[in-house]
Amino acid sequence: MSTSETEYLENVANQEYEHGWRTDIESETLPEGLDENIVRYISERKDEPEWLLEWRLKAFRYFERQVEEGNYPDWAHLDYERPDFQDMRYFSAPKEKASYDSLDEVPDEILETFERLGIPLEEQKALTGVAVDAVMDSVSVATTFKKKLKEKGVIFMSFGEAAREHPEIVKKYLGRVVPYTDNLFAALNSAVFSDGSFVYVPEGVTCPMELSTYFRINDQNTGQFERTLIIAEPDSYVSYLEGCTAPMNQKHQLHAAVVELIAHEDAEIKYSTIQNWYPGTKDGEGGVYNLVTKRGICEGDRSKISWTQLETGSAVTQKYPSVILKGDESVGEFYSVAFTKGHQQADTGTKMHHIGKNTKSTIISKGISAGVSNNSYRGLVKVGKNAENARNFSQCDSLLLGDKCGAHTFPYIEIGNPTAKVEHEATTSKVGEDQMFYCHQRGLGEEEALKLIVNGFCQEILAELPMEFAVEAKELLAIELEGSVG
Amino acid sequence: MSTTTLDTSAQPIDRFVSAFQVNHGQALNGTNASVAKRREAAIQRFQELGVPTRKQEAWKYTDIASVLDRPYTLPLGPNEADVSARDLDPYLIDDLDAHVLVLVNGRPDHSLSQLDALPEEVTVTSLKDAGTHPAFKAHYGEYADAEDEVLTALNTAFVQDGAFIHVPEGTELEQPILLLHVNAAQDDLLMQPRHLFVVEADAKARVIGRQLSLTDARTFTNTVTEMFVGERGYLDHYVIQEEDDNASQVLSRFGYHEGDSVLSTDTFTFSGEVVRNNMTLTPDGPNCETNLYGLVIGHGSMHVDNNTLVDHVHADCVSNELYKHVLNDQSTVVFNGKVFVHRDSQRIDAYQSNDSLVLNNDAQIYTKPELEIYADDVVCSHGATAGQLDEEGLFYLRSRGLSQERARILMMKAFAQDVIDVIEVEPLKALIEDRVQDRLRTFAS
Repeated sequence: MSTSETEYLENVANQEYEHGWRTDIESETLPEGLDENIVRYISERKDEPEWLLEWRLKAFRYFERQVEEGNYPDWAHLDYERPDFQDMRYFSAPKEKASYDSLDEVPDEILETFERLGIPLEEQKALTGVAVDAVMDSVSVATTFKKKLKEKGVIFMSFGEAAREHPEIVKKYLGRVVPYTDNLFAALNSAVFSDGSFVYVPEGVTCPMELSTYFRINDQNTGQFERTLIIAEPDSYVSYLEGCTAPMNQKHQLHAAVVELIAHEDAEIKYSTIQNWYPGTKDGEGGVYNLVTKRGICEGDRSKISWTQLETGSAVTQKYPSVILKGDESVGEFYSVAFTKGHQQADTGTKMHHIGKNTKSTIISKGISAGVSNNSYRGLVKVGKNAENARNFSQCDSLLLGDKCGAHTFPYIEIGNPTAKVEHEATTSKVGEDQMFYCHQRGLGEEEALKLIVNGFCQEILAELPMEFAVEAKELLAIELEGSVG
Repeated sequence: MSTTTLDTSAQPIDRFVSAFQVNHGQALNGTNASVAKRREAAIQRFQELGVPTRKQEAWKYTDIASVLDRPYTLPLGPNEADVSARDLDPYLIDDLDAHVLVLVNGRPDHSLSQLDALPEEVTVTSLKDAGTHPAFKAHYGEYADAEDEVLTALNTAFVQDGAFIHVPEGTELEQPILLLHVNAAQDDLLMQPRHLFVVEADAKARVIGRQLSLTDARTFTNTVTEMFVGERGYLDHYVIQEEDDNASQVLSRFGYHEGDSVLSTDTFTFSGEVVRNNMTLTPDGPNCETNLYGLVIGHGSMHVDNNTLVDHVHADCVSNELYKHVLNDQSTVVFNGKVFVHRDSQRIDAYQSNDSLVLNNDAQIYTKPELEIYADDVVCSHGATAGQLDEEGLFYLRSRGLSQERARILMMKAFAQDVIDVIEVEPLKALIEDRVQDRLRTFAS
């Protein structure tokens, strides 16, 4: 490796987090610790119906049992200290009025926060037609474009609101795809989730705009437990964008979200994530633990669920957005770019569970590791006994930038039907010297060349992102790679 | 034959621990301090690790505990099994001019072996007789991982006998060595043979292991094979697994080779009840070539689990891995292939490929091709596929006048051919071709 390339990579690895500042808003925060009273308090505070409280309590009891029995999901290729569940706060909400009718009522600090993130609400509203449901520390603070969506019958609101206004839908689907017994973090989330987004697209409706939510962890020492539920009725379409950033914080923060997607007959859900939580200092201190359960079910025939993710943040990431292909001819897709640097660790991938006939799944995963980070792909393709003619194609490529990082691939393939056609391929390599040479020869410097090559490496995935996101994603990747080249 | 019966009323661990005491006087070199020390440490370790459960990642798809939990007897003394040279005739490979060592129930039987043509400097004998050999002292127990692999610990604790091969520096052995592993148990038997192959620098050898059963007794064989190849050395190791449907086994192979050497393994699995092959190959020097090939023809209720690790601890090496599975009936095949590239092992080329042909609704395939890579200047790839016979291919062959059956056989055979083609010993290749063909014929009809 040439000196300048080494220097450049060092610069990249040493780069501090750009989004590290805190907004000073008074928040109302519960004391640290977790018991049944906290669960009751959260539920009461959010004015929830009785059945939801009961459900939370059941989940909480299950969670307690899991902790007692030591059923911690520690099988991943990750090395970190387990979070102390009693040393965290489970609720924090901006103290001022929790909901606003228009943007004018939103405190300036919050608006400023979003502006610094590069997503001014106003601009998005005007330029892109994206309805933004901005979640700051758990409570939905601004929802735009509500009216336009209402005309179409699309329900897009915070989870808390939905539980009050559409209890029949929430009750029917909550925990259906990710039951609270799924794993310890799903149980924890089910017990203490503070807010999140709810989307319901009625039959035959194509959602007129991309739905977008930005989540931010703001208060020190607050776990963020959001819960997202998206239901697409027959023959409907929705594209949902989720982006995350967290400010700098010395203590580890836990982020244990649950996302459930349900696609009925002929419906399609596209779920895109840009995850840029705080990754910790360059010495590996602090940073977010991103331990998330995301799963969708293609309930009806010919339904489709597509996950696209760009993961650049968090100290520890463990998530496997999955699709249960229950309907015949249903389609599952997973496109992922995971970038780790410094001391970051990521163990991410997907599960494609083929149950229906003639189901198809595609997995394209690109891992890039730099610094002393470890980046693992872990995935499962399971073809059930009755899943005639299931088809899967998986490709996992890893790119190593530097000689102290690690790239790993753990693909599981389980096949119980002979008509299945499953292909998996994976490669691991560094940036080719010939590629660099070619770029230099065309007049590009080290940094530009590397950016170009990494961008090309990820192109397939970035192309899957909705337009506005793709631009931001490219920018984000470039920022992550940036440093001064000597 | 003198035996001791495992007390099935006791917990599996206690059962083996008390049998360990009984076995003590019969174990390999009961007086050799270093072997005895390894045995003591191994039984200790076995107790700590316990019998693997399906909760452990390495045993997720293979329930070895229930195979171990049977009322086996353990052999204590030498064999008294009634095996004659005539019994073995059908299993000597046609046209193969080889040095033959016959092992009955895991122990070499010199009266049945044919080792007269062996060059003087080469040693092929029983492990029991090799105790004072310098190569035994230098290599025994050095590569087998009795620390983390519980069945290797169990084998190490109970070690009695096995095959010992030593090819000294600069010697190129022309004829292959054929190890005939014969299962001739009358009762349910648990055997734990232990083999050590040492191929010194600039030496060359081919070893063929053929496993078969003469009786239908329920057996469990827990084998550990250690292989060492010195600088610029060459070892080609073939294993043909065709034991009875009542025979289960765990075969753990540990290969260590030095710079510029070649270590190849080919494993052909045709029958058995539960067959688990653990393979750990460690190329520890520059310009090593490591090859792993495997073919499984699954039928009946066979359960075959190939667990491989290529541990690249040294830079500038190449490894190739190719496993093919044809599955029929209710057979289950598990493949877990891992390539591990350590931090400073730069310039590694590692290829891994694993393809499965599933013919029946009840057959199951679980595959996990893993890469764990900590060095950046490497080219590593793996591929895995699973599917059924290509309808278009079948149609083409039918249109050329082949019967449905012949077309299917031809397609299946072509699928398996890649692994057969790497066999360098012609008579062995012919045997494998025949065995594959015979089995596939039953699949096609």
